[in-house]
Amino acid sequence: MHSLGWSSKLISRALRSGFSALLETTTNVTSNNGGSKSRPHFISVVCGFPKDFLTSKYKPGKYGEDSWFKTSTSNADVLGVADGVGGWRSYGIDPGEFSSFLMKTCERLVHCVNFNPQRPVNLLAYSYCELLEQKKPILGSSTACVLVLNRENSTVYTANIGDSGFMVVRRGEIVHKSEEQQHYFNTPFQLSLPPPGHDHNVLSDSPDSADTLSFPVKDGDVILVATDGVFDNVPEKLLLDMLKEVEGVTDPVKLQMTANSLALMARSLSFDSDFMSPFAINARRNNINATGGKPDDITVVLATVAI
Amino acid sequence: MSQSSTTSSEDGSKRANSESVAVDSVIDFKGKHFGLESTSEDSDDYLVSGSEGTMIDVERFCHADYRIEQYAHSVLDFSSQYGIDLSISYTAPNITGRPSKYPEYGDFPQTFAMRTYGAWWERAPSRLKEIQPQNVSEIPAEDFIAIFETYNPGAVIRVWAYTIAKTWICLWEDKEFYTKPLYIPSRARRFTPPLKRIQLPTKTIRLEFNHQRLHYYTEIDAVLLSGKKFNTRNMQHLLDYYERQRKGSILCKLQNMKFRPICRDNYQNRLQHFLMHDLDKFISVLSDVQIQSIQHQQQQQVQSPSTGEIKISKIGLKNMPFEIMLKIFSYLDLKSLFRVGAVSRFLYDVSTHPLLYSELNLKPYWHLASTELLSTLAKRATILKKLDMSWCGCTVQTISPTEFKKFIQQRGDSLTHLRLNSTKFLNASCIDTLGIVCDNLKELSLRNCSPSPPLLNFSCLANLKNLERLDLFQTVIESDLLLTMLENNPKLKHLNLGKHNKEYEFTLYLITLYALPAFCSVAVNMDDVAQHIAKYNKQLISLDMWKAHFLSAQGLLVLSNCHNLEEIDFGWCLREASLGDSLREFLTQCTKLKKLFLAAVRGLTDRDLEYIANLCPNLEQLDLMGVLGISKERYIDILQKCAKLQLLDLCFCDNIMDYDVALWSRTFKVDIKSCQVPNDFR
Repeated sequence: MHSLGWSSKLISRALRSGFSALLETTTNVTSNNGGSKSRPHFISVVCGFPKDFLTSKYKPGKYGEDSWFKTSTSNADVLGVADGVGGWRSYGIDPGEFSSFLMKTCERLVHCVNFNPQRPVNLLAYSYCELLEQKKPILGSSTACVLVLNRENSTVYTANIGDSGFMVVRRGEIVHKSEEQQHYFNTPFQLSLPPPGHDHNVLSDSPDSADTLSFPVKDGDVILVATDGVFDNVPEKLLLDMLKEVEGVTDPVKLQMTANSLALMARSLSFDSDFMSPFAINARRNNINATGGKPDDITVVLATVAI
Repeated sequence: MSQSSTTSSEDGSKRANSESVAVDSVIDFKGKHFGLESTSEDSDDYLVSGSEGTMIDVERFCHADYRIEQYAHSVLDFSSQYGIDLSISYTAPNITGRPSKYPEYGDFPQTFAMRTYGAWWERAPSRLKEIQPQNVSEIPAEDFIAIFETYNPGAVIRVWAYTIAKTWICLWEDKEFYTKPLYIPSRARRFTPPLKRIQLPTKTIRLEFNHQRLHYYTEIDAVLLSGKKFNTRNMQHLLDYYERQRKGSILCKLQNMKFRPICRDNYQNRLQHFLMHDLDKFISVLSDVQIQSIQHQQQQQVQSPSTGEIKISKIGLKNMPFEIMLKIFSYLDLKSLFRVGAVSRFLYDVSTHPLLYSELNLKPYWHLASTELLSTLAKRATILKKLDMSWCGCTVQTISPTEFKKFIQQRGDSLTHLRLNSTKFLNASCIDTLGIVCDNLKELSLRNCSPSPPLLNFSCLANLKNLERLDLFQTVIESDLLLTMLENNPKLKHLNLGKHNKEYEFTLYLITLYALPAFCSVAVNMDDVAQHIAKYNKQLISLDMWKAHFLSAQGLLVLSNCHNLEEIDFGWCLREASLGDSLREFLTQCTKLKKLFLAAVRGLTDRDLEYIANLCPNLEQLDLMGVLGISKERYIDILQKCAKLQLLDLCFCDNIMDYDVALWSRTFKVDIKSCQVPNDFR
C-alpha cells in the first residue's frame, strides 16, 4: 500500500514537472511552424528526477545537481545537459551551481551574434570563460553535453565532456552514440573551477578535450541527450526499445509521455538493489563488487527531428 | 548664458562635488522594428517622436494610426562598461532586446553595468581636474523612452536622439541633478523621462550617465522606444518640409537667389550703403510679399537713430580696461563666447583673445564639434595649454583627421594636457603628429581608443618624455611601446592600464587557463610592465590595472619598489591562486597607500587581510568584492585599525550578514557595500 501511494505520487509529480516542459514544447512547435516549414527542427521534451526527489522543491532548468537547457534560433536548435560533480559538497560548495550556470550561459550565448552552429565546443569554452567574469565566485565542476542542429545543412554537431551523453536512433538502430570520457572509474572528465589553493588536487579538463562529432540527420530520427543517471541505470537495449517507438512522432504529448516513462524507469531501476545495471557491470569490470542501480539525478532530453 | 561654475578658472582648482561632470559613459543604440516574427525584417523603419506639432503636421507622414514599441537592437558605441569585450556579463550588449531581469532588483550579470560609481573616484589620489569647467551647463511627448534600471537607478541625466536630418537633439535633461535629494533605491525602476517634442523621426538614441550621486554601481537591463511608425517613402518630403520650416521660406529663397551685395571695406557704413544702392536690385530679385515687410522694417530702423534721441551713458563696457573684460569673459562657456563675439568689434576683439583659449573643452559640444569649429579655434588658440576633445566625432565623422592633424601641428607644441577619450576620428597619422609635435605633454588620456578592426599604430608616442599622467583605459597598445614609454617618462605619477587586453585575448584566456603560465607569452604581460615600472617610474602615485590580465604574485612583489604609491587597483587582475608573501612585502614598502582595490582577487586569505589591517594606517578606500573565505574577525580588524577608512566594498563576500554590515557601518562610520543575490541565474 505504501509503495502504491509512493509510486502514484511519483507519477503525478513526474507528470507535473513534465507538464511544464510540455508547455514549452508546444510554444516551440507553433513558433517553429511560423517559420519556414521545410527547414529541419527539433520537437523536444524534457523530464527528470533529482536524487532527493521526495524532499526537494522543483526548480526549472535543474534536476538536483543536473541542469539542462534547450533553445532555438533562426538557424539552429540547441540542447544541452550538465551534471554537477557531487564531491564538492564537502568543501561547502553547492555542486548544482556550476552546472546550472554553465547551461544558462550556454543558452544566452546561443542567442548572441557570434554563435557558430558548427562549433558547439565554443559554447562550452565561452561559457567557461564567462564563469571567471562573474562577480560572485562560482566554484565546482561538472560534465557537459551540448548538441546543435544546424538547419542549413540538416547536420547535428555535438560536444561532450564526461559521462553525460547522447544517442541517436534511426529505423530501430542506434546510429550514433557518445562515448563516456573517464579518467578512472566513476571519475569522468569535467570542467571545473576549484577554489583558490586547491588547484592541484582537483581534476580540471579543458574544453579542448571534449569529444566532438557531427553527422547528418534524417526526418524521424530520435535523439536522446541524458546524464549518467540514465545511461548507468537503464541498459542500452531497453533504451533502444523505448526510443524505437517514438521514431517519426511529432506529437509533443506522446513524446513527453515517452520521456516521462524513460525517466521513471531510470529512477525505479536506480533504487533496485538486485538489478545488474550498466553501472554495476562496469564496476565489476573494475574489480568493484557492486550490484543494483546507482541512485543519481536523472535528466532526459528527448527530441525528434522533423523536416 | 547660465553658468554652473562658482570657481574661477584662473587658479584652476575646483571642488569636485559641486558641478563636475563625471559623465562617464554613453550608449548609442539603434532601434529596430519590434520583433514580431511574422512581419518583415525591414531595418529601414523609423519612428516618429512627436506627432502633434503646431508647425509641422507630421501626422500625414505616418504609416498608420497605431503606436509601436521597440527595444534596442544594437549598441553603436559606449565609453565605459564593467565586463570585458566579447563577454556577455555586465557588458553593453546586454542592454539590447527585452529586459531579462526586470522587475527583479539586484546585481545581475545579465545587465549593463559601468566601471565606476559615486564620487569615490573623485576622492582618490588620481582625480582629474576638469578642463574649462564653465562649459558644462544646461541645454533646454505620448511618445516615450523607458529605461529599465535593475540596480541603483538614477544615473541617466540626458537623453539625445539622432534625427534623420543628421543632427543630435537633446530630448531630456535632468536639470535638478545636483539639487534633488538622493534617490535611495530598493526596487528596480522603469524610468520614463518626459521628452521634448521634436518634429523629426529618430531611431538612434544616446544616453548620458552621471554616477556621482550613486550609492553603488548602476545596472541597466533594457531600453524601450515607443512611438508611431514612420513611412520611409515620405522621408525626403519630410526633410524638405523641415528645412523650409527651420529656415523660413525667406531664407530658403535667399539661399537660392543669385544676388550678391557689393561689400565695401568700411563696415560701419555697410548697411546704409546697401540700403541706398543695392536695395532696389535686391527687391527686384525677390517677389515675395513678406520681403517687403522686412524692407519696411529696415527703413524704419535707418530712420529712427537719426530722428530719435538716444541717451548714451558716459562709461560703458567699451571703457573697461581690456584685462577686466578678459576676466569677465573667462567665466563664459565656449558657446556664449562665440555669441558675444558677434555683437560688436570691441567685443569680438576681447572674445578672440588667445588668453581665453588656453584651455579648451569640447566634450559638452560633442554633437557640434566639426572641422570648421576646429579651424576657427586654431586661429584663436595660439597659446593652447589644455585640450579636451573627448567624445567628438562619435558615430558621425564630422571631424576630419587631416584637420585635427593641422590643428595639432599649429597649436600642439605648447599643449600640456590632452584628452582624447572615445574619439573616433583618430588615425595613424594623427597619433604620429601627436608624438612628434606635443613633446611638452604632461597628461595624455587616450581612453577607449581602440577601433575595430586594426589597432592604431601608437609608436610615435615613444617620443613623449615629460608625461606625468598616462591614461590608456580600454585602449590597447603594443607591449613594447608601452614598455618604452614607461622607460622614457621617469616623472610618471598616474598610470591607468585598465582593461589592457586585446580582443582576442578572450580566447587566449582559454590557452592560459589550461596550459602552464610559461606558455602564455603571447598575451600582454603585466609582469613585464610591473618590472619596468619598478625600475623606471619610481615616482608613481597611482596605478590602475583593473581587468588588465595576468599580473602574478611576482609582479606584485616587484611593484613594492614604488614607495610613493598612494592608489592601486588590482581588481580582476591578480589571478594567481596564492599570493604568498608578495602582498605583505608590497604593503610594507608602500606605506602611503590610500586606495587599495582588490576586487575578485580570489587568492586573498585571512593572513593577507591581517597585513592590510596592520600595515595600511592611511587607507581610505578598500575594495574586497568577491573574495571568499575570509572570517568576520578580519573585517572587524581592518575597520578598527584603519581609522581613515571611508569606503569598504564587501559585495559577494561570505561570512557576513546584513545586520553585521549595518552595525559596522554605524560604529565605524564607514560606507560599507554589501549585497545578497539569489542563487539561481535565470
